[in-house]
Amino acid sequence: MEKLKEELKEIIIRDLKIQGVDPADIDDDAPLFEEGLGLDSLDAVELVVLIQKHFGVQIEDMEEGREAFASINALARYVSERRPE
Amino acid sequence: MKKTKKRLEALGHGIFYFFLLLGGQPLAYLMLFPVVMVYVIASRRIHRLASPYIRRRFPDAGPAARFFHVFRLVLSFARVLVDRAWLGLRRNAALTGDFDNSGVLLDVLKEGRGLVLVTAHVGNWQTALSHIDLLETRVNSLMHYAEEEVAKHFFDLKGEKPSFNIIRNDGFMGGMIEASAALSRGEVVMVMADRWAGGPAVEVDFLGSRARFPAAAYGLAAATGVPVAVLLAAKTGMRSYSLHVWDIFHPERNRSEGPRQFEASAARFARALERYVERYPYQWYNFFDFWAAGSREKER
Repeated sequence: MEKLKEELKEIIIRDLKIQGVDPADIDDDAPLFEEGLGLDSLDAVELVVLIQKHFGVQIEDMEEGREAFASINALARYVSERRPE
Repeated sequence: MKKTKKRLEALGHGIFYFFLLLGGQPLAYLMLFPVVMVYVIASRRIHRLASPYIRRRFPDAGPAARFFHVFRLVLSFARVLVDRAWLGLRRNAALTGDFDNSGVLLDVLKEGRGLVLVTAHVGNWQTALSHIDLLETRVNSLMHYAEEEVAKHFFDLKGEKPSFNIIRNDGFMGGMIEASAALSRGEVVMVMADRWAGGPAVEVDFLGSRARFPAAAYGLAAATGVPVAVLLAAKTGMRSYSLHVWDIFHPERNRSEGPRQFEASAARFARALERYVERYPYQWYNFFDFWAAGSREKER
């Protein structure tokens, strides 16, 4: 799970082009959007696409998104439970 | 006093529906003429609300000509409302639609990548939505509450099931997660792109002045790698309308520019809308100062 969390942080920083943030700076329990990393709704779309592309996991709706994007911990849990073997 | 006003309004609507049932659209259209004329003469508010658009669309018009343009704009809007009521009241009523270049969209959809359709508050957009099923794939419409209620009301009146799925844009992330999932399944997502009601936005030239347009549709298309098509409906006769794709393009991404990265896309939409209002000057129904920062802030 730790490896997956690191991978997710690297993808978020690299592909969403977040300036001046290292993976170590991201708190595993901090929210990803708004008051957390400051991501917005357009970033949410990109993140949905990135999760699909890298892990083959599709986030389908608002409820799933709310659960998955709550934090890095939540996202890692969501991906690990659904990624194809 | 309020109760009396409400009762009088209900009575007015009732009388109007009676005549609509009795004489159909022609009689209702005829009745609209004096009603709209009196309204446009008596109401200063309607001139205040319509003027920002009318002054830009008809920059050379004097006060008398502007009055006439406001009258025609309100009359056109009233006719759309009559059409909607007529469709609801008479079960067998129908408008005939013409979609002259639908092949452009069908070609894109054949690739199975999905499509973002951007549209505007023009013509009878609810009717246009009801005929969008010819695209042969699921169509999702990203709407805010008021639009959803109007669209649902249209189908409730008809006793039909909407031919499209509604995605509410007032939920978590503005419905963008559902919208991106739909696009990844090769479906169509339709977005109203002329009225900003929060979320990412850009300012571009529209009818000679800077105006704010929503940018979410272009971000959605750019992130999912699908094209954007500008689809606008126009009322072309008492019982006919026309659907036309006015432009199709791929929004470009440059994250370092933030929402401004979508200025070029919003500008293309604004150009298409300008060409539309050039052809159909009385069918763009935005009765507020679209260009003023103050009114935009109030909209928040």
